[in-house]
Amino acid sequence: MAEIELDGVTKRFSGVTALNRASFTIRDGELFILVGPSGCGKSTLLNMIVGLEDVTEGEIRVDGEVVNDLDPKDRNMAMVFQSYAIYPHMTVRENMAFPLELAKASKAEIDERVSRAAKILELEEVLDRKPRALSGGQRQRVAMGRAIVRKPKVFLLDEPLSNLDAKLRVQMRTEILRLQRRLETTMVYVTHDQTEAMTLGHRIAVLRKGEVLQIGTPRELYECPKNLFVAGFIGSPAMNFLPARWENGRLVLPVGSIALSDEEGRRLGAARGRLIAGFRPEHLQAGGEEQPGLRFEVQAEVVEWLGADVFVYFDVALRGFEEVELPEDLGLQGDNGDHRSLLARVDPSAGLREGDTFELGLDSQYVHVFDAESGENLSTARD
Amino acid sequence: MSEKREKPIERVLWGAASLLVVTYALIPVAWMVSLSLKRSADLGDDRFLPRVVSFEHYEAVFRDPQFSAALRNSIGIGAISSLAAVLLGMFAAYAIARLDFPGRRLILGAALSIAMFPPVSIIGPLFNMWRTLGLYDTWLGLILPYMTFTLPLAIWTLSAFFREIPWELERAARVDGATPVQAFVHVIAPLAAPGVFTAAILVFIFAWNDFLFAISLTSTNDARTAPAAIAFFTGSSRFEQPTGSIAAASVVVTLPIIVIVLAFQRRIVSGLTAGAVKG
Repeated sequence: MAEIELDGVTKRFSGVTALNRASFTIRDGELFILVGPSGCGKSTLLNMIVGLEDVTEGEIRVDGEVVNDLDPKDRNMAMVFQSYAIYPHMTVRENMAFPLELAKASKAEIDERVSRAAKILELEEVLDRKPRALSGGQRQRVAMGRAIVRKPKVFLLDEPLSNLDAKLRVQMRTEILRLQRRLETTMVYVTHDQTEAMTLGHRIAVLRKGEVLQIGTPRELYECPKNLFVAGFIGSPAMNFLPARWENGRLVLPVGSIALSDEEGRRLGAARGRLIAGFRPEHLQAGGEEQPGLRFEVQAEVVEWLGADVFVYFDVALRGFEEVELPEDLGLQGDNGDHRSLLARVDPSAGLREGDTFELGLDSQYVHVFDAESGENLSTARD
Repeated sequence: MSEKREKPIERVLWGAASLLVVTYALIPVAWMVSLSLKRSADLGDDRFLPRVVSFEHYEAVFRDPQFSAALRNSIGIGAISSLAAVLLGMFAAYAIARLDFPGRRLILGAALSIAMFPPVSIIGPLFNMWRTLGLYDTWLGLILPYMTFTLPLAIWTLSAFFREIPWELERAARVDGATPVQAFVHVIAPLAAPGVFTAAILVFIFAWNDFLFAISLTSTNDARTAPAAIAFFTGSSRFEQPTGSIAAASVVVTLPIIVIVLAFQRRIVSGLTAGAVKG
């Protein structure tokens, strides 16, 4: 049980800033996610919390006590590594008993705690096997087991599921979630996978290039991204982006123009420079003439039928608008020539097929407007 | 099709080549064994196999107090040298593999150049120094040069092994509550065991086989090792060559090495780290 406070935590490696002035609090009992593309500093931050990396500047406090100079062994935190880092020369039992033996627990207590952890993680059958005789999922569990036997203050997980296949990953994700709810121990979880972040986290911190961009619940990040990067990073399929202009009190897009609320108008009016409009695929509705907002006609290029949803890919001509420049590390498709490929997530009842021309409606309340230079979200926060 | 036709031919060629190499390597050994088992009278009979198998040379060798003393010296000096070299080498190799300190490459390079230094060039000065220091004809007098010449080998072998061990294991041990020393003792050292064995065996073989230092820096049974002792063998009369005894002693000296290598071959090769990282 612990609350972790970061206060201006900075890490520099020989002149390169891996993490810049991170300040936030991870609450007691919370499952907190650090998410971002590779090289964003999330693993560095985790290593600093556990004490494997020194803090260049700032303070890390656990329950109010500064732990900057505390040795990892004295922090009573447990970590699950991406490679699991199971000791290959020890059996599963010995692996799980290792932290307890170091803590000089009694033989009876070690046995009791190891068998309890083995029961929770369904490892009873393999307790006397060596790690090389285990499957990937079992190794992952052993790593979890070694973490939970000790009743640590904090669990730290560094991309624990990235070495598992897709099916196992979903299964272990649920297990981790259940485990965390059951133990009610503070857990800090690092991942580059936004789906994992969204499904697991109480709260999420999005990091990029050493900066904490936004911290919030999955819903806050999804509905009110503070900037272009968070908007594009969170959500699958990703948000659609179009270049935009602010003209005569209306937001002009290549597909038409929309009116915005007065307050948004005031903010946009003050902003100089190019704009980018973003809206989620599910906010584009086929048909539904009664809806307010923008309506435009498109031709379906590719239709993906997923049962509950249909993904419709279509191109929008840019018509003289400048191309949208998205952050490269988002890994999203850019413009192809004078077109931009967008995606609508529509109801299967619309019965769309490839090549069909159809009308899409976009409610203006779901449109985010970003400053193309700074990436800042200029629209008002909605809930 | 062509693959199928080539396969038997390839196998035959490989087999023939292996046979050639093994024969070439083993004929002198077989000859030595054969000589050691011949009766003294048959030594010059120009036959490859002994007419009558006799163990008289072995009996003679072991009756000789000089040889048993030499064997004791060889085992003792070899064991202490390997232990010391491996222990020191382990610390050096660990630092080189794990820590990023200035002059890391320099140390590795310097170690290598020491290994290449011709031992014969230091024998003269060493002889005089050892006499002054009172190390002449002592175990320590041999252990020191053996360690010096085998440490580079130990450092190189061990640092290669340490580099193979995933660093995350050590970090995991630290988070699990181990001090750096505990992490090394409980996690890194056991995983480096094959490397440690390899290094220890190589050092032991070097010390065991050495003739140059042994013959130059010893004078009595106090520290003379087996290879040097063999050189001092005499025949039972001044007209007799000690061929049979030398052959028997050589077989006795060779056997432990063969046993060690065969026994630890598995250990050396076995991939203990399998399963450490994702599989």
